[in-house]
Amino acid sequence: MNSAIETHNLVKRYGKVIAVDGLSLRVARGEIYAFLGLNGAGKTTTIRLLLGMVKPTSGEARVLGTRIRLGEKKPWGAVGYLVETADAYPELSVRENLEAMRRLRPGIKPSAVDHIIERLGLAKYADRRAGALSHGNAQRLGLAKALMHNPELLILDEPANGLDPAGIVEIRNLLIELAREQGVTVFMSSHILGEVSRLANRIGIIHQGRLLQELNVDELERNRQRRLLVRTRDCQTAHAVLVSAGYSAKLLPNDLIEVKDDIALERPDEIATRLVNAGHAPTMLNTEQEDLEHYFLRLVGMHEGETE
Amino acid sequence: MSNLTQAIWVELLKARRSRMPWLTALGFSLAPFAGGFFMIIMKDPDLARRIGMISAKAQIVAGSADWPTYLGLLAQATAIGGFVLFSFIYSWVFGREYSDRTIKDLLALPTPRYIVVLAKFILVTFWSATLTAAIYVIGLVVGAAVALPPASRVIFWQGTMTITNTACLTMALATPIAFFASAGRGYLPPIGAAILAVLLAQIIAAAGWGDYFPWSIPALVAGAAGSEAAQIGMVSYVIIILTSLIGVFGTAIWWELADQS
Repeated sequence: MNSAIETHNLVKRYGKVIAVDGLSLRVARGEIYAFLGLNGAGKTTTIRLLLGMVKPTSGEARVLGTRIRLGEKKPWGAVGYLVETADAYPELSVRENLEAMRRLRPGIKPSAVDHIIERLGLAKYADRRAGALSHGNAQRLGLAKALMHNPELLILDEPANGLDPAGIVEIRNLLIELAREQGVTVFMSSHILGEVSRLANRIGIIHQGRLLQELNVDELERNRQRRLLVRTRDCQTAHAVLVSAGYSAKLLPNDLIEVKDDIALERPDEIATRLVNAGHAPTMLNTEQEDLEHYFLRLVGMHEGETE
Repeated sequence: MSNLTQAIWVELLKARRSRMPWLTALGFSLAPFAGGFFMIIMKDPDLARRIGMISAKAQIVAGSADWPTYLGLLAQATAIGGFVLFSFIYSWVFGREYSDRTIKDLLALPTPRYIVVLAKFILVTFWSATLTAAIYVIGLVVGAAVALPPASRVIFWQGTMTITNTACLTMALATPIAFFASAGRGYLPPIGAAILAVLLAQIIAAAGWGDYFPWSIPALVAGAAGSEAAQIGMVSYVIIILTSLIGVFGTAIWWELADQS
């Protein structure tokens, strides 16, 4: 059994609302799989379905080879998870929260609490009430609960939520280390493509409950659009020069010319030569790759500044 | 049994670190002091009026200042005040998991959900029994302090048994509150359900059907409607046992089967 997670045509309806719509995905063992979508796309519902917190309307989910349904022996001893916000018992200290979780996961040594406190950089706050923690440290506590028992599979909902940039890098490195050195499978949701592209082996993009695309990181690079931006002192005429030379150039409102032809992207020097020869030497020539956010919004059919 | 001991340990830790044990003890301890206050007034209503403990117009409840009356008051306080208080404890123990959004951390663990639920029921039963025992001991001290006339061992035995019986029935009847806290996902629905149960209990008992409405029965046993009505039949006990089981199993089934989103 090579899959850590497998879903077949998973559907979850809440009345007339379809939160997850025919989701079929497969996460291989040892893989870091990022599940990307806008808020309300169905990421958290999928995670809840995988963890048996909600029942599917139809379809099935398997986690570590076990079908998640009533009466089946659950694989939770080998799964660590963080769903939505990282919440803890506010009147208990960080250490006590972890100790409570340790006791509910039989077979973990008492030393695991100190070990995970150290690993997640919570030593300074170990005896502080969880209710008095900053958002970032509360998130670390949530991750500590998920990681304490050295799980085979980590299911994390927006793990970087609330962390400062240094914390994001730290957690990213920790997850990469867990996957590479211990073979831990990571299934994580996020709404930030830039964040997950640095971490994940594979990315699944979900929108309105449906899986739009699954791709590897190198495919992501290939799929992102590139364009050549040109500026001259007289863009109108320069645009006409390029069009007459056979390029599908487009005049942009901010006095720029956009060229997307492959030949132009591969040989921007030819464009420069043509323009110089026509007496319109470029004042700017820039090959630009579509940023991840634009790529993501294009894929889900939205434009910048638009809301669902 | 599937980590039950550890689950109880966790529930105890959460309770110990909160203010709830102290708040519930404080709330319940009003009962023996209120009973003692009534005893002082009943002993000499004129003196109580002269020194301003009560208004000149106050109507004093029927009864005499002795141990049977005082222990009867404590039993009635256990039936009504106890139910509200035990319901409050259930609301907190179950409802806080939803209010603090910690429920999700309990749903996908090697410790089954029903064990967590069972541990919570055990904690609340232990907590309620401890409070009742504490109130009983405080009651004896207050009774002695207000110098109630000495009574025979039989009277103490009967009073103690009535309080114990009432407390057991009341604790059994509070279990459905756990279901309302779980299905209502917080504190307010269970507290509302408890208040509704108390109100209905008063109305139904006044209509003479108290033996058949579970939440009316403990007050009848405590003697709130007189010593004759305190003798309840087997049907009433069966009703209470069924209500209690519905509360326990209903809550466990809810945790196991309902969507927790």
